[in-house]
Amino acid sequence: MADVTEIFSAPLTFNWTLSYRCNFVCEHCYSRDEECPELETQDIKRIVDVLVEQQVPFINFGGGEPLIRKDLYEVAEYATKRGLNVSMNTNGWLLDDAAAQRLKDAGFKSVGISIDSSEASLHDAFRNMPGSYEKAVRGLDALRKVGLKSTMSSVISRINYQAYRELLDLARKHGVDQLYLHNFKCSGRGLKNREELDLSPEEWQAFYIEALTVKRQTDDLKISFDDPVIASLPEYQEKTMVKGSSCGKLSLHLRPNGDITPCGFIPVVVGNILTEDFETIWFDSPVLKAMRAKEATGKCSGCSAFDDCQGGCTARAFATTGDFNQPDPHCWK
Amino acid sequence: MNKPLRNPEIVWRVEKRRQAEVLKALEAGQDVDDSGTVILLQSGMMHQLNLVGGLIWQQCDGEQTLAAIAGGLAKEFSVEQTDVESDVAEFVNDLTMRGWLING
Repeated sequence: MADVTEIFSAPLTFNWTLSYRCNFVCEHCYSRDEECPELETQDIKRIVDVLVEQQVPFINFGGGEPLIRKDLYEVAEYATKRGLNVSMNTNGWLLDDAAAQRLKDAGFKSVGISIDSSEASLHDAFRNMPGSYEKAVRGLDALRKVGLKSTMSSVISRINYQAYRELLDLARKHGVDQLYLHNFKCSGRGLKNREELDLSPEEWQAFYIEALTVKRQTDDLKISFDDPVIASLPEYQEKTMVKGSSCGKLSLHLRPNGDITPCGFIPVVVGNILTEDFETIWFDSPVLKAMRAKEATGKCSGCSAFDDCQGGCTARAFATTGDFNQPDPHCWK
Repeated sequence: MNKPLRNPEIVWRVEKRRQAEVLKALEAGQDVDDSGTVILLQSGMMHQLNLVGGLIWQQCDGEQTLAAIAGGLAKEFSVEQTDVESDVAEFVNDLTMRGWLING
């Protein structure tokens, strides 16, 4: 596909940060130090109306902690009734049985909970919140009880990359439908704590080769990776809708004030959904255009994998160099 | 299948700008058979339907018979209904085999 906008008149997904407020201070968090005014409920509903008009099929609430917004249920119900497919990611602290039922009643299609280690002490230390593991697991069970599909999100880092199989077992035990093994992003606190948490390129390569084998051998649990750098591996055979990062192509991110960024990890505002014409942003933004047509630079120049990986994760390249076109620092080639 | 219905598990949308471009190309006499105008999303995979397939898909609401769908298509393209009936039936059968359509 030469340019996604030849086909897509809008992204398929908006990752939506309603609030940067959070009850946790996680070691890797991209957004903990962010500050942004929040919108009133009626303005959030106006955004839903824009998304419906633009035929965006999926929204995923993240943050910040989405459950901190008291109107989350009202907003989700409104979006669901207008035909959107709504999901969210939470740390699980506020997700008790009653909250799970309310999420189900509001029409959520699935709810993801972040769990980074099957060892409670490791998870709690990473999340800087004693008791968070127990509450996250309780959250998974609460979702199962009300019949709401759950997913589990685990950010791969030094604390878990050699023990990720235990995360699979944990997911199975608690009826999780899909496990996301997220790649570590060096944005925000993730950049500050990178030396302590990030793997070397060679360690990423070894991790992905092994994890891809495990994925192929696993048929009772969906395992997903969201790392474009993986496309350079011969072992990676999946057909994807776009090459390289999906940010700015299949998905966009909304900040709490309605500003649009290519993804949550790239703090470059390309417009505001409430005050600007969305189609102009989608089709004409110079930033989005640049992200959709990356140029091979540095070691990507002449690399046989570039057609498939498009330089890897644009957010990581941008966070470490300030340039979308620089090679992903996780690349092992 | 008498009244085909879109599988509710499939998320789909008409790519309006794309569709307008394809219609323009069609009017100019270009071959648009391979140009997608409707996208279908299922289990993380995306599929595309071309202009004619997309028009049939949009009519598969579980209310319309195959004959009615063929009639609408014939009117749209100013041809005889009998000229398109077998193509519509074949297309619907194909999508039913894929599980994208069910009997309404």
